[in-house]
Amino acid sequence: MAEDITVKDAPVAGGTKKAGLLNRFDNPWLNWKFLSGAGILGFMFFLIFLGYQLWDTDLALSARAPLNLPPVGFSNWRGQEGIPEHPLGTENSGRDMLALWIVGTPRTIFVGVVAATVGMIAGIILGFMAGFLGGIFDDVIRLAVDIAITIPSLLVLIVIQAVLGRVDLLTMALLISLFSWATPTRYIRAQVLSMRESGYVQMARLSGVPVRDIMFKEIMPNLLPYLAASYIGNMQGAIISAVGLEVLGFGPQRIPSLGVAIFFSIEAGALFRNMWWWWGVPTVTLSIVFVALLLISLGLDEVANPRLRKAN
Amino acid sequence: MGGISLNYLVRRLLVFFLTLWVAATLIFIIPRLAPGDPIAAMVARLSYQAGFVENSNLIIEGWKERFGLNDPVYVQYVRYLTGLLRGDLGYSMARFPSTVSELVGRALPWTLGLVGVATVIFFVVGNLCGALLVWNKTPRMVRVMIPISMMFTSIPPLLAGLLLVYVFGFLFKWFPQTYSYGFGMTPALTLEFIANVIHHGFLPAMAIVLVTFGYWALGMRGMMITIEGEDYMILAQAKGLKPFYVLYRYMIRNAILPQMTALAVSIGTLVNGAVLVEVIFNYNGMGTLIFTALREQDFGLIQGTSFILITTSALAVLIIDLSYPLIDPRISLEGR
Amino acid sequence: MSEKRNGSDSRTVLKVEKLRIHYATPQGDVIAVSDISFNLYEGETLGLVGESGCGKSTTAYGILQLVQPPGYIVNGSIEVDGTEVLNLEEEELRKFRWTGLSLIPQGAMNSLNPTMRVKDQITDVIEAHEGKQKDREALRERIFELFSNVGLPNRIYNMYPHELSGGMKQRVCIAMGVALHPTVVIADEATSALDVVVQRIVAQTLIKVKDEIGVSLIVIGHDMGLLAQIVDRIAVMYAGKMVEIAPVENVYAKPLHPYTQLLIDSIPSIKERKPLKITEGITHDPRNPPSGCIFRLRCPFAWQHCAEVEPPQIMVEDLHEVACHLYDEQFHERRANALATIANS
Repeated sequence: MAEDITVKDAPVAGGTKKAGLLNRFDNPWLNWKFLSGAGILGFMFFLIFLGYQLWDTDLALSARAPLNLPPVGFSNWRGQEGIPEHPLGTENSGRDMLALWIVGTPRTIFVGVVAATVGMIAGIILGFMAGFLGGIFDDVIRLAVDIAITIPSLLVLIVIQAVLGRVDLLTMALLISLFSWATPTRYIRAQVLSMRESGYVQMARLSGVPVRDIMFKEIMPNLLPYLAASYIGNMQGAIISAVGLEVLGFGPQRIPSLGVAIFFSIEAGALFRNMWWWWGVPTVTLSIVFVALLLISLGLDEVANPRLRKAN
Repeated sequence: MGGISLNYLVRRLLVFFLTLWVAATLIFIIPRLAPGDPIAAMVARLSYQAGFVENSNLIIEGWKERFGLNDPVYVQYVRYLTGLLRGDLGYSMARFPSTVSELVGRALPWTLGLVGVATVIFFVVGNLCGALLVWNKTPRMVRVMIPISMMFTSIPPLLAGLLLVYVFGFLFKWFPQTYSYGFGMTPALTLEFIANVIHHGFLPAMAIVLVTFGYWALGMRGMMITIEGEDYMILAQAKGLKPFYVLYRYMIRNAILPQMTALAVSIGTLVNGAVLVEVIFNYNGMGTLIFTALREQDFGLIQGTSFILITTSALAVLIIDLSYPLIDPRISLEGR
Repeated sequence: MSEKRNGSDSRTVLKVEKLRIHYATPQGDVIAVSDISFNLYEGETLGLVGESGCGKSTTAYGILQLVQPPGYIVNGSIEVDGTEVLNLEEEELRKFRWTGLSLIPQGAMNSLNPTMRVKDQITDVIEAHEGKQKDREALRERIFELFSNVGLPNRIYNMYPHELSGGMKQRVCIAMGVALHPTVVIADEATSALDVVVQRIVAQTLIKVKDEIGVSLIVIGHDMGLLAQIVDRIAVMYAGKMVEIAPVENVYAKPLHPYTQLLIDSIPSIKERKPLKITEGITHDPRNPPSGCIFRLRCPFAWQHCAEVEPPQIMVEDLHEVACHLYDEQFHERRANALATIANS
């Protein structure tokens, strides 16, 4: 920022104060956004782990608990009070919301991880091919990316699922991954292109370093923060798609994930019966996951782009 | 302004038509790739629901004949594509003899209106917020408020919709919970009706805007920071231009160009979100139409709605791509 | 070459005193400009030279109040026509800019806004200081006149920067720089990124415009040969210090400071081939400058006194100052020896 510091307000001591401020950013991975995002997710996994140890996860199946109980400290429209046996309440087919949370949260994240990983691997391969080999590879891949990005993936997924009906989580994750390669490919291609033109890669090429070594020893390490940020973005996209499909009714229904719980609650009109805990537990959980992922990717952005760091 | 170079135009149009072709082909092939005969199964289910249990075989055959399912696949494919070219999307199976085009024609304007308005709002507000985060004359209050207002960023619109409809629709009852206009009203260009539509559209639009504008603010912030380091910014400062003029003519004007590209890329995601928001609010647009079609196992309607929504997205992308050279003077000459 | 020669009796338009600029880094402040003082006289062209990183551009940006963080001005005084620039309030400073001090940047680079037409970029600076121009026709004539001053064709009026060649962009920058007839114009490496032929033409344009419009000019560069032809005086900087400031013919004929001698020696000549003097550039840590004379680590004539006392600026004749103990009268024997060594080499 172009604030001129004049004689009046810049004593020599100001210099050391500034130096201290800059010092804090010496290790780019130690920024609060990245750490707090990772911390939130870590804490959530810790709670889930505890839940598996301490809570009866079979309660997530239907008809294991009284129906429609509110969380402890609240009462439902029939005047029933919440009971400590079901601290987060129950829904209308007798599932315990706490057990559902323990079981459903990792299942939802699982879909995100699988779809994002498959999409990312494809993205890295295609992105490097397009950016590094160029020519006809680049033309074809660019065209495919342009087309794939334009098409709203949910609509094609709906068509597929309309044919297949309900599927298990792994299948759903793989279906989603069919549409999660385009964004990373586009991103990686652009990064590889700009790095290919950079001085140190040109230097390596001129001095006869094999293409493979240039890719993995010169470009890859510099690309890591970008890849990580892109992976997180991909995970967000995959979870959004999965939750979307589940809310439309395509999720596995015996052991629900968070999106399926929302689907059930909407079906049962939970919104208008004021059973806020039913859709609220999965909604708030997912919101926290998304905010945590956003914080992580913002942190990674700052790792990749020092300018953003300085501007804080 | 030099206009759009031929190379650029041809490439954009190629992408547009290829997108339509790929979408149409996917929608055609997917049901035929599935094991068994899903169309027959659906027809069967349909006829079962209609109560005709006896002679169901004959009925299935009848339906198949009617929809031309007994012809070789390539004949079906060609007939399907030529049908699309003529704007013929076939019949709705559940609401026969309503055509898909009729149903889509009723739903599409609502979706366009909702998504269009939401897009304008989040794009303008988001970019403005991002620019103000970087500008050195931004009041401290504003600089603190913006990041706070961005805390919903990245939450899926669907979930934001749930929260909004519960809090402002159900608890406070400030806004209606469903549909695009009041029950019993007839669409007309009266002030009352328009106010009613805005009242109904407010929450669904907010569900999209609230969770989206933060991304644009962050993107804009990054662009502004890059531009701040450009040589021409130092010259702008040296020239003693007025700060506000520098903000919009030097900074925003240059930072907005990549944001336009980003908008084109994000249209697909935007439509994904809008479909689900419509379902939450039971808003009578394309999202709800496709949801209903899923319920009714109305495969023809699912196909038609998807195709039209994909076409609309592709068209939006094409419009943005073609307007881009008009706002970036460098593009028209270089032809890329 | 400019015909005018100005003595110190001319009016002083820019007076820089004890200007000190630091860059904050995690390991401590880098001293970019260290207590520089000099005057610029009316109608004069002053060259500011030195190797990369010596602080010549930072000095210019300091005078213009454009030092970008983490850089900041520690102390000093900058007077333009009697106005203390460092005391100006923000809005006063904005109005003062371009009318008091203007900048000709490296226009061949990225100094023009890529999304604005040439005419709009000149118009905006005029309107920022003289208000909205109602008479568009007169405004256009005025811009055309600026174009003809710098030898630009009128057809570029409606063009965008990317449609211009490097030399043309540089001329646009010159036209813009003098549009408001400022008191002092600072040209920062204005010819550096251009090829040799264009470089000459742009430099000549610069001097022609300067004489026509009657401004005072500071030219920053590292091409001693080119500067010799266009400036009246040269100020030589080394590691943030000004080591010598002298009329241009003095600098080439009898450079006094050992560093200036080194610089003059390094100008390649096409008439005779001589081995290039390899010098290693600034060697000390800029956060921890050596005691006494800044140049003593590389100076062939340094002795104990140089490490103990910082040399003051010694006025050897009118307009010629040098910061070296050799020119202190009490060391005249050493000076004689040194000059003999140079003569022999």
